[in-house]
Amino acid sequence: MRRNTLFAAGALTLAVALTASACGTVETGGGGGGGTEGECAIKVGVMGALSGANAGIVIPSVNGAKLALKEYQETDPECAVELIEFDTEGDPAKATPVATQMSTDESFLGVIGGAFSGETRATKAIFDDSGLTMISQSATATDLTQEEPADVFHRVVGHDLVQGTAIANYVGETLGASKVFVVDDSTAYGEPLAGKIKEILGDKVAATDKTQEKQTDFSAVVGKIKGAQPDAVVYAGYAAEAGPFLKQLRDAGVTVPFVGGDGLYGVDFPKAAGEAAEGAIVTCPCVPVEGTFAEDYEAEFGEAAGAYAGEGYDAMNIFLEAFAAGNTTREDVEAFVDAYEGEGLTKTYKFDEVGDVDQANVTVWSYKVEGGVLVPDQEIKQ
Amino acid sequence: MDFTNLIEGLAGFTVDGLTKGSIYALVALGYTLVYGVLRLINFAHSEVFMVGAWTVLGVYTAVGAHSGVGVWLAIGITLLAGLVAALVSAGTALVVERVAYRPLRNKNAPPLIVLITAIGCSLVLVEIFGHALRVFFGAPFGRSAVNIPTVVPTREVFTIGNFNMSNIDLIVILAAVGMMVALDLFVNKSRLGRGVRAVAQDPDTASLMGVNKNNVIMLVFIIGGVAAGLAALLHTMKYDFAKFDMGFLIGIKAFTAAVLGGIGNLRGALVGGLLLGVCEVYSSALISSNWEDVTAFVILVVVLMFRPTGILGESLGKARA
Amino acid sequence: MTDTTPQKSVLKRVAAVPSLLGGAPQWVKVPLILLVLSFCVYLPFLNILPFAYIRTDLRPNGSDWSTVLFTIALYMIVAVGLNVVIGWAGLLDLGYVGFYAVGAYSIALFGSPASPVTKAIAAQFGLPEGWSMAFAACIPLAICIALIAGVILGAPTLRLRGDYLAIVTMGFGEIIRIVMRNSTWTGGPAGIIAVPEPPAADEDFFNTIDVHRWYWLALAVLVILIWLMRRLEHSRVGRAWLAIREDEDAAAVMGVNAFKYKLWAFAIGASLGAIAGLLFASKQAYVEPNGFQLNLSFLFVAMVVIGGSGNIWGALFGAFLITYLPERFREFESWRPLAFGVALVAIMVLRPQGLFPNRRRARELEDRKHEAEEAAADA
Repeated sequence: MRRNTLFAAGALTLAVALTASACGTVETGGGGGGGTEGECAIKVGVMGALSGANAGIVIPSVNGAKLALKEYQETDPECAVELIEFDTEGDPAKATPVATQMSTDESFLGVIGGAFSGETRATKAIFDDSGLTMISQSATATDLTQEEPADVFHRVVGHDLVQGTAIANYVGETLGASKVFVVDDSTAYGEPLAGKIKEILGDKVAATDKTQEKQTDFSAVVGKIKGAQPDAVVYAGYAAEAGPFLKQLRDAGVTVPFVGGDGLYGVDFPKAAGEAAEGAIVTCPCVPVEGTFAEDYEAEFGEAAGAYAGEGYDAMNIFLEAFAAGNTTREDVEAFVDAYEGEGLTKTYKFDEVGDVDQANVTVWSYKVEGGVLVPDQEIKQ
Repeated sequence: MDFTNLIEGLAGFTVDGLTKGSIYALVALGYTLVYGVLRLINFAHSEVFMVGAWTVLGVYTAVGAHSGVGVWLAIGITLLAGLVAALVSAGTALVVERVAYRPLRNKNAPPLIVLITAIGCSLVLVEIFGHALRVFFGAPFGRSAVNIPTVVPTREVFTIGNFNMSNIDLIVILAAVGMMVALDLFVNKSRLGRGVRAVAQDPDTASLMGVNKNNVIMLVFIIGGVAAGLAALLHTMKYDFAKFDMGFLIGIKAFTAAVLGGIGNLRGALVGGLLLGVCEVYSSALISSNWEDVTAFVILVVVLMFRPTGILGESLGKARA
Repeated sequence: MTDTTPQKSVLKRVAAVPSLLGGAPQWVKVPLILLVLSFCVYLPFLNILPFAYIRTDLRPNGSDWSTVLFTIALYMIVAVGLNVVIGWAGLLDLGYVGFYAVGAYSIALFGSPASPVTKAIAAQFGLPEGWSMAFAACIPLAICIALIAGVILGAPTLRLRGDYLAIVTMGFGEIIRIVMRNSTWTGGPAGIIAVPEPPAADEDFFNTIDVHRWYWLALAVLVILIWLMRRLEHSRVGRAWLAIREDEDAAAVMGVNAFKYKLWAFAIGASLGAIAGLLFASKQAYVEPNGFQLNLSFLFVAMVVIGGSGNIWGALFGAFLITYLPERFREFESWRPLAFGVALVAIMVLRPQGLFPNRRRARELEDRKHEAEEAAADA
C-alpha cells in the first residue's frame, strides 16, 4: 500500500517537473555579456581578505580601486565598468572557487588580486588557463614571478627580495645595528621575508626565532631576546601578532628599536601594541600618498588612506585605461597590460616578461609610529 | 635545541611558564570539575572564559579605567572587574548547562552527542562575540582583538641577577594558587563540597542520600565559571586584550592540563596547569614558539597512553579515608 | 509496536524511503540508481528553471557551480569514510582532517616535481630534474601511508575512553598540521605547488576551467567507495562493528576482538580520508598547511552526526547539506558559522539520531531515553 503511494508520488513529481521545464531556462555562468552590439558591461573582480583580522591590509587597496572607478565614471565613459568584490579571507582554499567563478564568467576582463601571496599562488594557474589578466596590488612573495611565472600575472608592487634587502639595509646601516634578532611568524609571507633579511644581514644576525599565527604569549621569544641582548629586533609577520609581541617586549624592559615588514602596516598594529608601539618602524614597498589622492580618499571613505591604497588605485587605473582604449576581450586587455608603460600614483610602470615592475622603480619606505599613527619616515636606499 | 639559552634564562622561563600555567590551571578547574561529576568535556567552557574577558573590558569601560589611575583605585577597579567577570562567567556557564546539557542529560544521550552539542555551543558563543554583537552594537565586538586598558602597570618587584620578577606574574601565580587552595578546602571540608564529591562518585546513591543532583551540577558549573572569570581577569591583566576566539586554544590546553594532573582532581588541575605552562615555555625556549602546541598535544597523548589517570591520579569521586 | 499513531511525520516517511527502496525488486532498483546517477552527472549543466535555482552561481559573486559540486562530492567521500569510524565502529574521531591532509600531502610530496622530497629522491638516484612519481603510483602510496598513519594513531589510543579518544585524535590532527607547517621537507608554510592532475587521454583534460570533469571524477570515486563500504557493512567486519558498538563485553564473549576491528575501522576511515585529500590536492594543484585546520574536522564530524551516523545515506545527506547551504547562501557569509553552531546544537538536542538515522542507532537512543525517564521516575 505504502509502496504504491510512493510510486504515485514519484510519477506526479516527474510530471510536474516536465511541465515546469517549460518555464524556461536560466542563463548560467552569471550571464555572459560583453562585446556584442557595441554594448559593453565590463566586470573587474577584486579578491582578498575583506573580512577577518588581516582585512586592514586589503581594504584600503580595494577602496583605492573604487576611487579610481568613481573618477572614471565621472568622465562619462562608453563602457560601463563594474567592480565586483570577492571575500576570500586570504585563504587559498576559499580563493580557488572564486577564481574559477571569475574565470568562467566571460564578462570579467580583469582581476585585481590576489591581495595575499598564498591565495595568489593557488589561483594563478586558474587565471592563466582562462587568460584573465591579474594585477596584484600587494602580493609580494618572490616566487610568484621568479618561479613558475604565469603570463597573466602582473603586480604593481615590488617583491619581498626587495623589501627584505631594504629592511636589512635599514637595520644594518640606518640604525647601525650590529647584533640583530630576527623573528618570523612561520607563514608563507613571513618566513621567506625573514630568510632574505637574514641572508643580507649575514653575521649581524645575533639569533633568530619563530612564532606562529594566533600566538598571544611571547614570553619565550622575549626571554630569548633578553638573553641575546641585540641592538635591534626585526619581525617578519602580521599585525595581529606583532602588536602583543611588541607590547610584551617593552613590558619586559627591552628598549631596542623594533622594525617590521609591510604585514604590520595599517591601524591595527599601533592599536594593538598601544603605547609600546611608539617609535616602532614599519617598512612597506608602498609609497606614502599625499596630495589630492589622499584628500579624495579621506573625503570618500572617511579615513586616511591605508596600506596599498595608492597601489590599488594604480592597478584599477591600468585596467580602466585598457577599457578606455577600446579593449573588450581578454586577449586585448592582456596585450595592453603587458605592453603598458605609464606614470602611476606610486611609481612608473612597465612590466617585464614575468609581470614584475622594474625593481629599480620600487621604493621601500619606512614608517614610524608616532602618537599611535604611522607617519612616513624615509625612503630606504636599496 | 638551544640548551645554553634555556639554562641561562631558566629562572625567567620558569616564571613565565608558571604564569601561563596558572591561567591554564584556573580554566582547567572548570573542565576537571564538570568531567568529574558529569563525565562531559565541556567544550563551551573556553567560551565562558572569553565572556569573562569581555566583561572585564566592559567594567573598565563603564568605570572609565585607564592606565594612569592611582594604586588603590587600580586595585579596587580590578577587584570589581574580577567579581563581575566571575558572576557573568558563572551565569554563562549556567545558561549553557540549562539550554544544552540538561535536555541531553534527561534523555541520557550518549557521550558523542553531548560532545558535539558542546562544540556547537562553543561555536555559537564565539560567533555571538565575533559577529552577532558587532551587527547590533558595532565596535568593539568583531573579529579583531580589542585593547583593554592597562589598569595595573607592569613593574619589577624584585631582581635576582639578570632575572626580574614582574608584579603581574606574581599576582597571577598567587591568585591561582590561592583560588585552588580555597576550592580544595571547600570541596573537602564543606557540606556542599561533600555533595559534589558524592554526586561525582555515584549520582543515584547520592540522590538516595538526599543530595539534589541538579543543584550540585549547577554548583559545579558555577564554580567552574567563577574560576574561568578569575582566569579571564588575570589574562587581561597580563595580555591586555580580548578577542572573540581567545578561548579556544586556552581551552584545549587547559583540558590537557586537567588530564595531565588527573581528571576530576582539583589539585591535579593546578599541578597539571603549572606543569604544562612550564613545559610549553621550555620547549619554546629550546626550539621555537611554533612548536608550542605540538608540545601540549604530545604531552596529552603520552599521558593518556602511559598514565591515563594523570599525575595525581585520584578522581573527585574517590572516597577518602 | 511503539508507533500506534496512523499519521507518521513527514520526516519519518522520507527517512523510510531508502529502506523501502532497499527492499524493492531489482527491476525497480537498477533503473532508479541509473536515473539518480544520470541526474548527478547532468547537474553541472542544469539550467532549467525552476530547478536551476539550486545553482550557486546565479549572482555575479556566487561560487562556481561545478566547483561546489566537486566539493560536495569530495566531502561526501569524507563523510562515508568518517561514517565508518564514528557511525559503524562508534569511535569519536575529532582529528579526521589529519588523514585528509596525509592524502593531500602524499600526492604533493611524491607527485609534484617541485616538492623537496621528489627533489631529494631525484638527486639521490640521479634521476632527471623535474622527475616525480606517476599519479597512478601515488594513489596506492597515499592509501598505504594513510593506513600506516591510522594504525599509528589507533594502536596506542583505541583503548581509551570515548571522550579521551576524541581529544587525542584532535591532538593528532593538529600535530600533523603543525608538523607539515614547521618542517622544511614538507615545503613549510608556503606548501607545495605543481601537484599533478590525474592522467587522461588528452593531456589537458583535467584543467582549471572545465571543473565539471573533476566533479565527474569525484563522483565516480564516490560511487565506487559507497559500493565498497556497503559490501563492508554487510560483511563479517561490519557485523563485528555492530556487535562492538552495542555491547563490547558481550562481543568479546562471542569471540570478537574489539581492538582489532576498531583498528581496522580507523585504518579504513583513514584511507578514505586520504583518497579525498588526494583529489582535493590534485584539483587545487597546491597544498598548504592552512587548508587543514581543526574546524574542518568539526565540520566533518557534524556532517556525519547531523546526517545520521551509522547510515551511509545519512552521512551523504549531511555532507551535502553542510557543503551546499553555506555556498548557496553566500550573501549571509558572516552569519554562516553562527547558523552552523545553532543548527548543530538544535539538531543534537532535538533529534540526536540525525536526520536520516540508522534504525539501530535511533532505537539505541530511544532505549537510553527510556532508561533515563524510568530512572527519573524512580528517583
